[in-house]
Amino acid sequence: MTAIREYWRIALGALRANWFRALLTALGVVIGVASLITVTAVSDGASAQISASIQRLGANVVEVDGEYISVGSRQSATDRVITPGDVAEIAKLPMISIAAPHQDIESQVVSAGRFRTNTWLVGMTPAYSAVYNQRVVRGRGITSADVSFGREVMLMGLDAAARLFPGQDPIGKTVRVGSHEFEVVGLQSRRGQLSDENLDNRIFVPLPVVTRVMLGGENTVHLSVRVTSASEVASSQDAIEEVLLRRHALPPGYPEDFSTQDQASILEEGQAASTTFKALTFALGGISLLVGGIGIMNMMLVSVHERTREIGIRKSVGASPFMVQAQFLIEAIVLSTLGGIAGVVAGIGAVGAIGSLAGWETLISVPSLVIAFAVALVIGLLFGYYPARRASRLDPIAALRYE
Amino acid sequence: MEDDAGTSVIELAEISKVYETGEVAVQALRSVSLVIREGEFVAIMGPSGSGKTTMLAILGCLDRPSSGSYKLVGEEMSTLDETRRAHVRGERIGFVFQAYNLLPRTSAYRNVELPLVYAGVPARERRSRVLAGLGEVGLSDRAGHLPTQLSGGQQQRVAVARALVMRPSVLLLDEPTGNLDSASEEEVLGLLERVNRAGATLAMVTHSNEVAERASRIVRLADGEIVSDEQVGGPLALGTR
Repeated sequence: MTAIREYWRIALGALRANWFRALLTALGVVIGVASLITVTAVSDGASAQISASIQRLGANVVEVDGEYISVGSRQSATDRVITPGDVAEIAKLPMISIAAPHQDIESQVVSAGRFRTNTWLVGMTPAYSAVYNQRVVRGRGITSADVSFGREVMLMGLDAAARLFPGQDPIGKTVRVGSHEFEVVGLQSRRGQLSDENLDNRIFVPLPVVTRVMLGGENTVHLSVRVTSASEVASSQDAIEEVLLRRHALPPGYPEDFSTQDQASILEEGQAASTTFKALTFALGGISLLVGGIGIMNMMLVSVHERTREIGIRKSVGASPFMVQAQFLIEAIVLSTLGGIAGVVAGIGAVGAIGSLAGWETLISVPSLVIAFAVALVIGLLFGYYPARRASRLDPIAALRYE
Repeated sequence: MEDDAGTSVIELAEISKVYETGEVAVQALRSVSLVIREGEFVAIMGPSGSGKTTMLAILGCLDRPSSGSYKLVGEEMSTLDETRRAHVRGERIGFVFQAYNLLPRTSAYRNVELPLVYAGVPARERRSRVLAGLGEVGLSDRAGHLPTQLSGGQQQRVAVARALVMRPSVLLLDEPTGNLDSASEEEVLGLLERVNRAGATLAMVTHSNEVAERASRIVRLADGEIVSDEQVGGPLALGTR
């Protein structure tokens, strides 16, 4: 219908005539849409990072951890309950492709010359590298020979290396761990963060050096296994538990001296947390849009009030109540649409700025842009309706006399 | 009265208007009857509070009578709903107000175009009619000017062009020269006389005898009643001079 086009033209003309007020009115929507897009991009980025972490750090990984147990006054002497025999039997399970025992010392001060730093030491074998998709950027990794001969060699995370050897090549240098001296043979590729843990601050040495030499004994606290497929993860946990319960032969009434957890569920916990965060921030963005909508309604009401005379003039030259309502409703929609477009642009800009300034992983998805924009549009309609209705019902004679 | 003077454009029959303001009811018009015929230029006079503005508002379908009948070109107006009244205002009545009432920040062209837009006249036709209308009032070269860029007289001429652009049955004028200096007043009155001579029917509220004398008929109101109704010289008599 050509009439609709005319209403558009009238509404646009009225907006152009009051462009500064229009700008201020749209600002609320701009901010609402931009914040909606920004929080969505940040939390989507976090989710994407977690998914990427699962792939990078090794999918289908189950971690078995030894636990201290206590019943009454008795407490087990150690949580290093996983024996080489346990590992060998678990490795034979059909759904397990790799079994990698490892012994971690989670806070270990190490030094090189005058530099000291606190790191996370992992005593491990090549199986560990296979389970966790570990890559080496310089030098070499920990080999079976290193493990067999108990060589005091070290693979370093990039951040640990940078702290001990600032501006130097660490390969071939010596790192002191307590009374032991390790030769740096390789640098691990960058792994990034796992929740709040810096995976690049870890250092890796052959397992026997930690178990036999530093701590004594053969047992470990940790066993990480790679399961053949994601669908076998749950059944592998049952099978591992069955093996360990049988082999550990704990007296009746004792709790299990180990626990199993699959890495995906650990990461998904983080993801669940980020879903909550996302819901919260989305609600926050929604509230700012609502505030923007109320801003539109307020400005439209003020505008209707200020333009009472204009409405009277329009009615005196033939504008029907419907036409006046259409004009103001279209003005509100145009405002929220332009605000929505500007908000999308501002949101994309803000996401870019956050990405480069804070270094956060961000992900702008097209659906989030569309949703934010659509919400802006609906809000324009919703909050434009009442002021438009009011304008349409003004008494023409009173409106014309209005000063 | 003059049964021979052409068809009646406006027929008011026993029109009353009561304003309820709180507990006091103000009787603005008391059973007023009036006929205005095609081609007349009627001045409506009276002291403030006499009901002349109320009468103009009722004539313009801006307000409804409390009782009585108002026929515009034979059609009853007092019972129409707001949408129909809006169409009547747009298509059959032209308004010229004391304060010009042009849309601010809107060009002369767009102001004159407004009634055509609301009446749904196609864009091509609008353009020629707006330009012709501005030409009629001698403002062809001011089409793109905003009201603030025009003198008072020019603004009022734009308002006259806007009031005429739909070729209405009647032109209603509320103190059209009240805000103008004498030169501009003459400009606008001369224009109104020309329009009247071309056949338009005019009803004008004024408190100035000088202005009223330019009309062909003067209706005087007091306390909501017509107290005198007389033919005078003016445009209709000009032809016989």
